[in-house]
Amino acid sequence: MNSQMPLYSLHERVWHWLQAAGMLSLILTGMAIHYPDRFGILGSMTNAVRWHSWIGFALILNGFLGIFYHVTAEKYHHFLPRMDDFTGAAIRQARFYFYGIFKGEQHPFEDDPRRKLNPLQKITYLLLLNVLLPFQIVTGLLMWGADHWPVTFTRVGGLWVLGPAHTLGSYLFLAFLIGHVYLSTTGPTAGSLLLAMITGCYDQEKE
Amino acid sequence: MPRLRKGPSTRQTNPFQAELLVAITVLLSAVTFGQNAGGTTPRKTQAKTLKLAHPEILLKDEAGQNVLKTGKPISTRQSCGGDCHDYEFITNSFHFQQGKNEMDRALLASHGAPPFNTSPGMFGKFSIIPNRQLTASDITDPSDADMSQPEWLTKCGGCHTGAGISEFDLRGHRFLTPEAKPTGALDPSYTIRDRDSGRVIPWDWQRSGIAEADCFLCHIPKATRGERKKEMAAGNFRWANNATLLDTGIVVRRGDGAFTYNSAAFNSDGTVKAAVLDISDPALENCAQCHGFTARNTTTIQPIQHADIMRGTEKSGWIYNGAKISDTESPNIVGKEKMDFSWDVHAAAGLVCIDCHFSVNNPGRMIQEDAKKNLRYKPAEIDLAEYLRRPDHNFARGDIPPETVNLTQHDTMRACGDCHEAEKSHAFLPYKSTHFRSLACQTCHIPAVHFWAYRSDDWGFVMDTGGSRISYRGIEGSIVDPESEIGGYLPAYITTIDKKNNQQIRPTNLITGVYWFDKRKGRPVFTWQVQNAFFAGKAAEGEFPYRPEILKAFADKDGIIDLPQAVYDSPEKIALVKDLLKRYSGVGDPELRIEVVPWAMTHGIAGKQQAIRDCVACHGKKSILGRPVDLNSSLPAGVPVVYRGKNLDVVNFKTKEPSFDNRVLLNSFYIVGYSRAAWIEWLGWICVAAAVLFSLVHGALRLLGGRL
Repeated sequence: MNSQMPLYSLHERVWHWLQAAGMLSLILTGMAIHYPDRFGILGSMTNAVRWHSWIGFALILNGFLGIFYHVTAEKYHHFLPRMDDFTGAAIRQARFYFYGIFKGEQHPFEDDPRRKLNPLQKITYLLLLNVLLPFQIVTGLLMWGADHWPVTFTRVGGLWVLGPAHTLGSYLFLAFLIGHVYLSTTGPTAGSLLLAMITGCYDQEKE
Repeated sequence: MPRLRKGPSTRQTNPFQAELLVAITVLLSAVTFGQNAGGTTPRKTQAKTLKLAHPEILLKDEAGQNVLKTGKPISTRQSCGGDCHDYEFITNSFHFQQGKNEMDRALLASHGAPPFNTSPGMFGKFSIIPNRQLTASDITDPSDADMSQPEWLTKCGGCHTGAGISEFDLRGHRFLTPEAKPTGALDPSYTIRDRDSGRVIPWDWQRSGIAEADCFLCHIPKATRGERKKEMAAGNFRWANNATLLDTGIVVRRGDGAFTYNSAAFNSDGTVKAAVLDISDPALENCAQCHGFTARNTTTIQPIQHADIMRGTEKSGWIYNGAKISDTESPNIVGKEKMDFSWDVHAAAGLVCIDCHFSVNNPGRMIQEDAKKNLRYKPAEIDLAEYLRRPDHNFARGDIPPETVNLTQHDTMRACGDCHEAEKSHAFLPYKSTHFRSLACQTCHIPAVHFWAYRSDDWGFVMDTGGSRISYRGIEGSIVDPESEIGGYLPAYITTIDKKNNQQIRPTNLITGVYWFDKRKGRPVFTWQVQNAFFAGKAAEGEFPYRPEILKAFADKDGIIDLPQAVYDSPEKIALVKDLLKRYSGVGDPELRIEVVPWAMTHGIAGKQQAIRDCVACHGKKSILGRPVDLNSSLPAGVPVVYRGKNLDVVNFKTKEPSFDNRVLLNSFYIVGYSRAAWIEWLGWICVAAAVLFSLVHGALRLLGGRL
């Protein structure tokens, strides 16, 4: 039976896609900065630097809006793993990805408006949103502020520390993005999760 | 000294000051008139019409008598000094002393100077060009005698303008006075090494006379350094300043070489006609005589004058000229038709040398700020009359390698940012402060040198002329042939410390020297010692015959050493010459060394159209900042490399020709897009590759299992 389950609110979808566009843009402009002679997509490195800075600030703003929304709408609990999510549940989810999915087993954690993320997603986002994203924001802001706060900039090691650190963070984000896009195909159909993030409704036809 | 502005009635005014007052009044009137009449008068026009009229003066001899009557050499101490200018004050400056007044080993050590240098200036400092050095005053061994004070003056006195270095011995006694006596047979102030016998023999100061400060060389438009140089080279120091005036018509050289005075150049009261002497601020042409090719606007460039290559041009290829490169008629600049811009934007704008390299106490030009007191403007504490009496000839200067003279007074000139609103004119540039802090302005504004310059001077293997092997960069062919193709060259980038203690990247020309060092003596091996090791005497026609040992090791079957063979391509050849240096020259522990000397580029500034604006030029994978710069194809491998006084291996032998490797220098800079932390790149790409691989393998397995 074909049923449409509302999963993502408009706020969540807009926030998600803004975040996705921002991160993708940051990775692209970042590549244009890191490989200026091989990745001149914006005409010049100057443009890439400027766009990278503006998009970075936009993403920070979007991040704060996201925090505001999830706190005021009391949806932050989606991102909070329980103890079990680190142990048994995580193992069940991993088993599904590495074994069950090939056998056609049921997803161990059904998508549900009350619990939108599986245990591995919760752990990943916990690290992503609380470690990697702040790390990128701080290192990025310090680099952006080299002209504004040169003393602080120098005190933390200058570009020789911040440059490689921010670069490593970017590679990790890129790796996450690739995995995230791929795993979005692991729903009931290859496109169902993606469609859910567009329409907000999860198609349960094959369930 | 009474102050001119403070009025007057009771003080005594000497004639000079009265005339000065008139001159200043005329000058100020002219300026005021010019402003009222024409608004903003173009600078070039002002330069032509406004000129401080110097009073007519007497030319006096050493006894203070008018030379027109006595026929004796001009004494600038008497003519310019005396009641008017403070001769002692003026000549106690680096232009006259060249380090003589800084012969303080503790001071030198505190600035990192090598211990074998006795001063920070050319009067005491070893230079790979010409592999010679002023002999230290305290030597006891004849083998430590290289270039004595008199010989230094014959070689270098054409440019280095007398006074301190040619009036006083190394202990400060004025030559030809009762106190001035040699302390021993090797006293370098009173001896010279005889070229033929090789012995150290006395110098006859009575015969040579002394050379006082040559004020004319810089302050007379028609000064001729060539004639001065001839007299200095001949050891005729006494008449050198007269020779400088030969082109003015005041002085005439007779057939027998003696100098007389032309009475037509003098007024009836014995003073020289002002129009003939024409005492002036130093013009471009005056400075150009020694410092490098400089002209307001010329299409013919001749950087070799009086058999000398002008210093700035030979060392870093700068041409300070307002004309467009495309208009150059001679020499042959390759691709000039595309160079529709001036050799130097400052020259094109009409700036002259003293606009930047001013006398530091000139009230009209001096920097009137006092950082220590947080003052941006401090009303001049010196008035014009006081300045004219005691103009400081420690001219405003920067702090660039390899110049070290006047150790304690570097960075006295205005920096680029003191004249230019760089923040406003670089709107296109992100991270302006970081860029301005990390890069010297010249880094972008001297993107290329369109002339030739020295590349190497190799004294490791001396030629049969007795001299070194010199090579140039930027030219195909001989530097004296105007048809030689001058393609120019690209700078090498090094790091230096600016006056705010920031490390900066700046462009340079690299001159690579190869020379022998005596480790036992702790100083370079002198040229005469190297010649003794290589040659068995000197042939009548001026060529030096190589010793049989040298011919056996280096020559071809015909017994001739061609240039490609005159290289140290094996440790055995180095060992052989070491042995010869020990045997024939008494060098205790010889060591072959390479020294890479960066010559900072400061002139030949390009305007915004030609300056580097493309970020990729520096930030790309093939950044110009790290490009290999060829040094000298005949460099010996495996010998110590000296860079700015320290052992630092900046030579890369893995390239086609030995090249400059500045990676160690640039290590303090993370150049976004160019610099890499290798492990970060590896780790990052492994993570990305793992994500891709996981997705591909997982997806493929799902596809194969029909689960996608």
